[in-house]
Amino acid sequence: MDMGQSVYGEKRIAVEDEKVGKIEYRVWNPFRSKLAAAVLGGIGEIYIQPGSKLLYLGAASGTTVSHCSDIVGPEGAVYAVEFAPRPGRDLVNVAKRRTNIIPIVEDARHPLKYRQLVSMVDVVFADVAQPDQARIVGHNARYFLKSGGFFCISIKANCIDSTLPANIVFANEVKVLQGMGFKPKEQVTLEPYERDHAVVCGVYRA
Amino acid sequence: MATFILFESASGYGLFEMIQSEDIGSSLDEVRKSVLELNRFSKIVKLKAFMPFTSAENALENINAITEGEMTPLLKEFLEQNLKTGKKKKSKDDKKKKNKGPKLMVVDKKLGNMIKEVLDIKVISNEKAEELLRGIRLFFHNFIDKLGPEDVHQTQLALSHSYSRCKVKFNVHRVDMMII
Repeated sequence: MDMGQSVYGEKRIAVEDEKVGKIEYRVWNPFRSKLAAAVLGGIGEIYIQPGSKLLYLGAASGTTVSHCSDIVGPEGAVYAVEFAPRPGRDLVNVAKRRTNIIPIVEDARHPLKYRQLVSMVDVVFADVAQPDQARIVGHNARYFLKSGGFFCISIKANCIDSTLPANIVFANEVKVLQGMGFKPKEQVTLEPYERDHAVVCGVYRA
Repeated sequence: MATFILFESASGYGLFEMIQSEDIGSSLDEVRKSVLELNRFSKIVKLKAFMPFTSAENALENINAITEGEMTPLLKEFLEQNLKTGKKKKSKDDKKKKNKGPKLMVVDKKLGNMIKEVLDIKVISNEKAEELLRGIRLFFHNFIDKLGPEDVHQTQLALSHSYSRCKVKFNVHRVDMMII
């Protein structure tokens, strides 16, 4: 989406192609992005593809968001929600250079506050690291995720309950998600890039 | 009596009227099914009125109020204009007729209460309203002729930038002060 610019100092690789001219690829670091770690960890489908509308909860400074923006391309849109003002400022700056990112500095716990800014989306990705994150995602999906739409959630076991073993926390979260109309299909842990993290993907109301 | 639905978008306020409210009113599953396809959905709900924001500042002022559950003069005017019939009936102070006045579905309870107090309209905010709004959100650009998907995206983009910039300025200032 934004040639010749690195968002967070990542490497860029330019390729000359006879048919389409110059193509630029950006290196996606799995240590910095849980979504990249999930892809390398062997998840089959992240559902984010060219033309997708994506609701991204917990956008932080917009590093992974910038990669999502490259994936969905000019036909798609990334609604990036981040509550903390400092990363929010970086996010707004990333979004200035990429017109398919819609930056929303607001609390993902209150999806109604940004209901004016969001259309129905194809995919929800969440990396909010809050104890009640399943509920937050469920809330957002109720208002904004298409029936038959998809979700990807990054779960950090320590943030939910640090006293239980990670795999029990993951299993509990999956149960909570199922109770809210999500049908989880895949789960991978993010070893060796992150400790006690899992990404769960699946489909909503279908 | 007629049931209306208020939809707040980045480009303006939309008021939708329910056509077959009685038929599908019974079960939530029915409503869920009917919002999936445009040709089914457009038989249930039709656009009554649409009020675009006049400028970027106007839009920002409105979203700031909406997020706090407050009503702006623009929204008040819009609702008064389009739900006028109900107001007249109420001025006669007849309780029976009051129940027959127009009902308005609002997704945000706080805003709903505000509207109820100020305009004296029956306001509903339940799961059915949520489901219907999912449908409206999905097919919004199909209801308004001059509004394409790109226009929706552009207005969202513009409004989100101005809204987020405000938030960041507002809060970062405070954080910066603490560090100093």
